[in-house]
Amino acid sequence: MNKRLLVLLVLEIVAILTFSAGFFPQKSVLQGDAQFNYKPEAHRRMAPKFEKMVLVIVDALRSDFVFQKDMSEFGFLHKLLNKGHAWGYTAYSNPPTVTLPRLKGITTGSTPNFLDAILNVAEDDVSSNLKEQDSWLRQFRMHQKKIKFFGDDTWLKLFPSEFFDETDGTNSFFVSDFEEVDLNVTRHLPQQLQSQDSWDVLILHYLGLDHIGHKGGAFSSFMPPKHREMDAVIEQIYNAVGEDTLICVMGDHGMNDLGNHGGSSAGETSAALVFISKLLEKYEKPLAQQGQDIPVASSSPEYNYLTKVNQIDFVPTIATLFNLPVPKNSIGVLIPDFLKLLSPADAKTKVIDNYQQLLSISGGSTKKLGDPDAIIEEMREVQSDLAKTATNYNYLLLGIGFLTLLVVSSVALFFSWTSFPSTFGLFLLLGTSLLLSLSTFGSSFIEEEHQIWWWTSIALVGLSYISAPRELGDHLTVLAVLRLIRGWNNSGQKFVYEYTLYELLKQHYQVEWLLITTTIFVVQFQGRAKGFSAFQYSFLMSVLCLVYKATWSIVNNEQVPAWLQHICLRSYSIMKGVSKDQIDFSDALVPMARLFFQVTAAVIAVEVIRHQFKPNGPRLLEEIHAHISTLLILQTSSANIPQFLAFHILSRKLNSLWSRRQWSFPVLMTVNLVLQHLSFFQFGNTNSIATVSLTNAYNGVSENYNIYVVGALMCVSNFAPSIYWSLSCLKILYSKSTQSKWETFFTSRLPSFLYYCLFGCFLLGSCVILRYHLFIWSVFSPKLCYYVSWNLFMNAIIAWFFEGTLVALL
Amino acid sequence: MPPRMRVAPKKTVSFSDDENMTRARQLNSKKHQTDIYGPPVYVKKSLLTVPVHLVALLYYYIKLSEDFDDVRLLYGLIPMQIAYLAAQFNRSTVYGHKILKLKLSLVPISLGAALLLTLPCMLIIILMGAPVRMLLRETWLLAAHCCFLAFPAVYSVFNCDFKVGIFKKYFISIAIGCWISCIVIPLDWDRDWQQWPTPLIVGAYAGAFVGYSLCPYL
Repeated sequence: MNKRLLVLLVLEIVAILTFSAGFFPQKSVLQGDAQFNYKPEAHRRMAPKFEKMVLVIVDALRSDFVFQKDMSEFGFLHKLLNKGHAWGYTAYSNPPTVTLPRLKGITTGSTPNFLDAILNVAEDDVSSNLKEQDSWLRQFRMHQKKIKFFGDDTWLKLFPSEFFDETDGTNSFFVSDFEEVDLNVTRHLPQQLQSQDSWDVLILHYLGLDHIGHKGGAFSSFMPPKHREMDAVIEQIYNAVGEDTLICVMGDHGMNDLGNHGGSSAGETSAALVFISKLLEKYEKPLAQQGQDIPVASSSPEYNYLTKVNQIDFVPTIATLFNLPVPKNSIGVLIPDFLKLLSPADAKTKVIDNYQQLLSISGGSTKKLGDPDAIIEEMREVQSDLAKTATNYNYLLLGIGFLTLLVVSSVALFFSWTSFPSTFGLFLLLGTSLLLSLSTFGSSFIEEEHQIWWWTSIALVGLSYISAPRELGDHLTVLAVLRLIRGWNNSGQKFVYEYTLYELLKQHYQVEWLLITTTIFVVQFQGRAKGFSAFQYSFLMSVLCLVYKATWSIVNNEQVPAWLQHICLRSYSIMKGVSKDQIDFSDALVPMARLFFQVTAAVIAVEVIRHQFKPNGPRLLEEIHAHISTLLILQTSSANIPQFLAFHILSRKLNSLWSRRQWSFPVLMTVNLVLQHLSFFQFGNTNSIATVSLTNAYNGVSENYNIYVVGALMCVSNFAPSIYWSLSCLKILYSKSTQSKWETFFTSRLPSFLYYCLFGCFLLGSCVILRYHLFIWSVFSPKLCYYVSWNLFMNAIIAWFFEGTLVALL
Repeated sequence: MPPRMRVAPKKTVSFSDDENMTRARQLNSKKHQTDIYGPPVYVKKSLLTVPVHLVALLYYYIKLSEDFDDVRLLYGLIPMQIAYLAAQFNRSTVYGHKILKLKLSLVPISLGAALLLTLPCMLIIILMGAPVRMLLRETWLLAAHCCFLAFPAVYSVFNCDFKVGIFKKYFISIAIGCWISCIVIPLDWDRDWQQWPTPLIVGAYAGAFVGYSLCPYL
């Protein structure tokens, strides 16, 4: 059976990868640059309405920050809106509402594909480059306009440097910086406004407001001053430029009340969009703005203020006003209000041109339509169709992947049926799997998956207690420890609890570091009796780990108690042989982490070699588990580290319950699965791409790094608790095993394999059935990504390959 | 922002009498033949134990009360549970071949015990995932509902010399009701009835209804 199981595993992975290849195709992008589609000569005769543009992007500027009375402090802008010098809109920004995909949308007019959201994380990727893709920047550039850019350096990743005449990028990495990041943009303004001949397009991208949101939410006390600061920037520009300049103020996306974004809630997708020019005064205000006093007193729960448009409509509108061709991949529809600026004949030409450009993407045929309003109606429909079918699924690959997985699952089910004598264990496993599987059909259940795992885990505790009512104390301890783990972090999208242990520990750093120190030593020593040499290297590893974590926190401006700082200083002066005053902590981090990795590798090698000469059975697993746990701690952010202490207690209780209650394999492996997932989510992870943490992915990595090393470190740091539990259960399994080691190994792999298969069948099914669902890109696709990584990393690499190697060494 | 949780069996008195329980079960299946080993405790299989008033209370709670008024529901529950105990549940409880009379002195004692039990019950609810620093009043109300739903069983535990085994099922059924009802909390429908602790109270009532009606048959 063993070989057959291996074949099944390979088949399963192939099936999932095939499905994913069909589900996440690269979006087909039309190459080349746009030309005028309809009556090119007529366009060439027209004069552009504006000569210059200033684009002010305020990151995460939600519509109510500009338009709503209680939220907004943009006093000057309100005056302009009421005077009719500014036209305001609420712009719907397509999810994923993170900066990189949104910038793509704002410049090219296309809807983002899902890969962009992932690439937003992998910052150094170049495949998201817009060098070759048509955009209004490219069109401006081709028409010999000069572009200058100051602000978020995402733009500089998107566009080649030859697009810009002058740039100054600010980095969005340090979210805690509210002031400097914006002053670095504004300081260029006076000079640029004095020499207005040196540019035609000036782009400013302010990050401070987004940072405030991430730190303190939409109602943060830093918000009003930031609004006033941005308002002053607008005033400064408005007063300096003439009638031929169009100022656009916009948010690239919104935020929810907690200040996060990435998803598809009303707050996150409603960004503000304001066009400002002295020229606009000559024309009638947009309908929604007439007779409306701004700021609006009533608040809209859907964040709809004034006219609602699509954010990508910005692209053809700009193209029209500057008399440029609409970028080729744009699916925007020009905002009808701006047709007032053109003569009726020109307006009609522009509308038909935009219509034909849309049809060139959708492949539809021109309908005979009379007046511009009817055409715009028709264009809106084409647009919403295009937005829905932004990607073409490869149904052949989807079918092959899905069917293969179905076959693999039924074979795995048959194997489990024949190889597990205990029906109770199998029932438990199937129950858990089916519960989780069914939850994949609800978007909120996917978002709140941690709740389902919690729900399952207390059911397991309850069941276990009912079957052994005399062991009340143990069960209460288990429940209490689980509750601590649950209270450690927020997970999911719906509820945010202020008093998480994570936040409390961050505030009480003395307690935090005491707990961390205890955790590191307890986990490394695990109460084992040791020889003197073993004691020495265990001690060395613990100290190295502790010193590294403390130094990392010092370098990143977190609070660390004085005694620990002293220890750090002492250890460096010993390590480097220099006196204490010459130590620069930030230089010491990389060699320190490398030293730790080397020591860990060496210690594990010594353990393995010693075991080959003097076998001591399952003791080897215990030793290796301790060392790997220390490694996992190094890859965990500091306030999460004490969770490993809780894990340690829980693991001991489990071990004693397992040996006393004679659980069968499926029971233990179900418990293992539940703990792996529960702890994964309670480390602060979710099923959204936004929470993939890169904080610990660069430990010991220097400037010219290898992307695979960073990738591996990232996987280890995000899956650290799950790896702990996987190894912990392996240890428990072999502590009292009567079968041969390989038999134990393969039988114990079967339950989680069955879970992944069953869950996969349902998830893949729901992705196909709900492929036109509103949340397919924001909820279901990220879940599919997470599922693939659980399979590849946790199941194939850790549970099969890594643990298989350990068992082989036994 | 109530996290999901459920209520555990509120078994704090551990004079568990499994032997008697199993014996009672055997006897139950043998149509309650007399035996010589000792007094068995069981609840008669009869339609009399169906707690109809719980359905009425639930109807009031869901349809009639404003904003799911937990407090008024509790005021309604306590007298009705006493009446249910006197008129229905106690009449179906058999202890040593005979149906015991309602001991009036025991009613306030067990009411007090139920009230006291709200504290450990609340602790368990929190251990099962309820928030610690907020919504404490709501959590306590939920615990109170659970304990007074279990009141007839609590009374019978006192009345039948702490033969807890047979009555464990009633506590567990209430807990399971709460547990199942949690599933609606994460849904993003934003309805008032998803607010803490409304779904759990409904679940507890449903669990108690099923429990009091069906447990004699188990």
